[in-house]
Amino acid sequence: MLKLLPGHYHGGQTSGNYLVSHGATVFLHSNKEKRLRIPPANSGMRRGSRPKKTKMGLLEILQQEWAVRALIASSMVGLMCGVLGCFIVLRNMSLIGDALSHAILPGVVFAFMIVGYSALGFFVGSVVAGLATAFVITWIQHNVGTKNDAAVGIVFTAMFSIGVMGISWISRNEGVHLDLKDFLFGNVLGVSNQDLALTSMVAVYVFISIIVFYRQLFVTTFQPVIAQTMGISIKMIHYFLMLLLSFAVVASLQTVGVILVVAMLITPASTALLLSNRLEWVLVISALVGLASAILGLLGAIIFETTPGPAMAVMATILYLLAVFFAPEKGVLFKAIQRRRIRRRVQQEDTLKQAYRLQEEGLLSQERLEQQLGLGRGILQANLQSLRKKGWLAKQKLELTPEGIQAARRLVRAHRLWETYLADRIGLNTEQIHDEAEQYEHHLTDEILDEVERVLGFPTLDPHGSPIPVKPGLPGHPLSRIAAGQASRIARQQASEQVTARLWELGLLPGTPFSVRQKEEGFIEIDVSGQALKLPDSLARQVNVEG
Amino acid sequence: MPNPVITIKGLSVSYGRKRVLTNIFMDIEPGHVYGILGPNGAGKSTLFKAILGLMEPNAGAILVKGKPIEEHRKEVVYVPQKSDVDWTFPATVFDIVLMGRYPHKKLLQRMNEHDKALARKALREVGMEQFENRQAGELSGGQQQRVFLARALCQEAEAFLLDEPFVGVDITTEEKIIHILKKLAAEGKTILVIHHDLSSVPEYFSRIALINQRLITFGDTAEVFTKENIANAYSGQLPILHQTGGWE
Repeated sequence: MLKLLPGHYHGGQTSGNYLVSHGATVFLHSNKEKRLRIPPANSGMRRGSRPKKTKMGLLEILQQEWAVRALIASSMVGLMCGVLGCFIVLRNMSLIGDALSHAILPGVVFAFMIVGYSALGFFVGSVVAGLATAFVITWIQHNVGTKNDAAVGIVFTAMFSIGVMGISWISRNEGVHLDLKDFLFGNVLGVSNQDLALTSMVAVYVFISIIVFYRQLFVTTFQPVIAQTMGISIKMIHYFLMLLLSFAVVASLQTVGVILVVAMLITPASTALLLSNRLEWVLVISALVGLASAILGLLGAIIFETTPGPAMAVMATILYLLAVFFAPEKGVLFKAIQRRRIRRRVQQEDTLKQAYRLQEEGLLSQERLEQQLGLGRGILQANLQSLRKKGWLAKQKLELTPEGIQAARRLVRAHRLWETYLADRIGLNTEQIHDEAEQYEHHLTDEILDEVERVLGFPTLDPHGSPIPVKPGLPGHPLSRIAAGQASRIARQQASEQVTARLWELGLLPGTPFSVRQKEEGFIEIDVSGQALKLPDSLARQVNVEG
Repeated sequence: MPNPVITIKGLSVSYGRKRVLTNIFMDIEPGHVYGILGPNGAGKSTLFKAILGLMEPNAGAILVKGKPIEEHRKEVVYVPQKSDVDWTFPATVFDIVLMGRYPHKKLLQRMNEHDKALARKALREVGMEQFENRQAGELSGGQQQRVFLARALCQEAEAFLLDEPFVGVDITTEEKIIHILKKLAAEGKTILVIHHDLSSVPEYFSRIALINQRLITFGDTAEVFTKENIANAYSGQLPILHQTGGWE
């Protein structure tokens, strides 16, 4: 599995070509002399690497056995880390992922000391070291007053240092030089069949585990206390996840190395979290982003002749940045567009309102609008154009259509209702309320306005004494606005057939005189020729009376 | 008299050296909405944790239908305070409500149409059916609380433990929740609610437990919700009494 190589990317190499240098790769073998030696000439990797490699096209390279192995291994790592990473990120354990990956070094070193070079030995050593680290970190977090992230930092740096010291011990006492570089950054082009088998088994195990324990992982991550009441052991799930994480890290060593496995764990997951709001989809997207990062990174590394591990991490970061900017809803660009759209709408509505005011006064002209709104001619033209498009402004001349007038009245209603609310309920004085209302009138929905109107008891005048327009579609002079003690008549014109029918049932024919006796919660009591009649507010608001 | 659903016998709990609950005895019967009242730090939440088996008691026992909670986990459902969740979590309202079905499922068993139908029914009951596909973080505080209640309903439990369900919710939600709780009690379920607004106690709860580390009083609201008992429970925290004063 893990090949400990001398630094074959060192600058001293004349060609500077990764693949060429790879041809000269020196492997560490656990042979008798425990010395470094050059691999046999028939090594799978060597065959493809001619010094004149630059002439080899991408397609040719991809037909090489080592390239296929590298591609399969990277894909597995991308998929596995993508899926697992979602839970790591959601549990705020990104730093633990980093810690575990570094902390397996002493596991590898001790395994080497005990059994020599053995893929299985390294695997077991790494998993034991990973779990021990997870356990110690959790123990410190629960039993010592050290801050969580400090505990993580303490443990993994200590583990890593022990590993590094172990390496120097080995080189001093056994004469074997272990190079950290592959441990840190991976060496995907040196993947052997044995490595590939191990990676595949680990990947399959991780996938099956996540599918089988999906619900447990979901609850413990979302709301641990609920998991406990369901009898799910949070501790078990935590350590199980740590086990999977150790597996994934060990399996990824060869491909991306311990530093960059963190990139494969958290970057695709973070990308996916920007793209979806459902955990199932986040897992799928994260896996695909991980896969894409791995494959594109590897291909990029081959084309640009650079190191594959970092290329995959860079590719993952590029995909993340694309999501940061272009993700629907959560992307920076989307938010900017939305803000711009709102700003433009506000400007258009302000234009509409001003046009309405000037039209009421009979003074509507392009110059007056420009003057009042303080907008440039171009912007004003654009605003008027969009008002025309909405059918609020007549096509040929500068005049609001009936729909435009209604839309403007809605804005005035929102403005004045909100002013009334601020003055009556919040207790702001009349100088403060205008600017507030000027902003909010654009954002209040009809639902909120109805509620505000109800809470305020259907006011007719705002704090400045200006009339509050009634809701569009309701009568011009609703019965609900007649104050207690005042008298009026039922109007001939009603808003709808239903209202006319209801009134007929109640014996309230057009022209019937009445007076309002009192208003109570939800009802208005009127006096019709000496007889009391209770009308619900909902009806009173729809009944048109003579003005 | 009906058999108690939850029996608490001589319960004592402490955090480290600090004693939180001492020698509590309660028989909690079905068909009532119980108010669990007491000042801050009185041990109300600890009582819930002990009932749910999340805390090991120092002494005493808690039985659910005569057995330890471990054997009846499905039957007791907890509605925690909505503040203990990271609401940016990628889950829709429906995903969260469906969690109520988890205790009914074996490891590899999938959610079926029956489970989904129950989740939809629960959402309808709390008036949140149109928010099914909404991400939970986009909801208001009151709506989030209703989602938690829907999840509990969907579990079809016998006993419901709600921790401060009326904190930070709108009036409509508060009315809706209490309406549902009373309906559940009428159907023979057992409801326990940790509550701190004393003015609404007589209207909301048919029985109460006043707790301040010890059990001050326990019984029908009409009988035990007296000035003396409250003063006893809230000793040293009298300003709260002056503010609310709804028991006279």
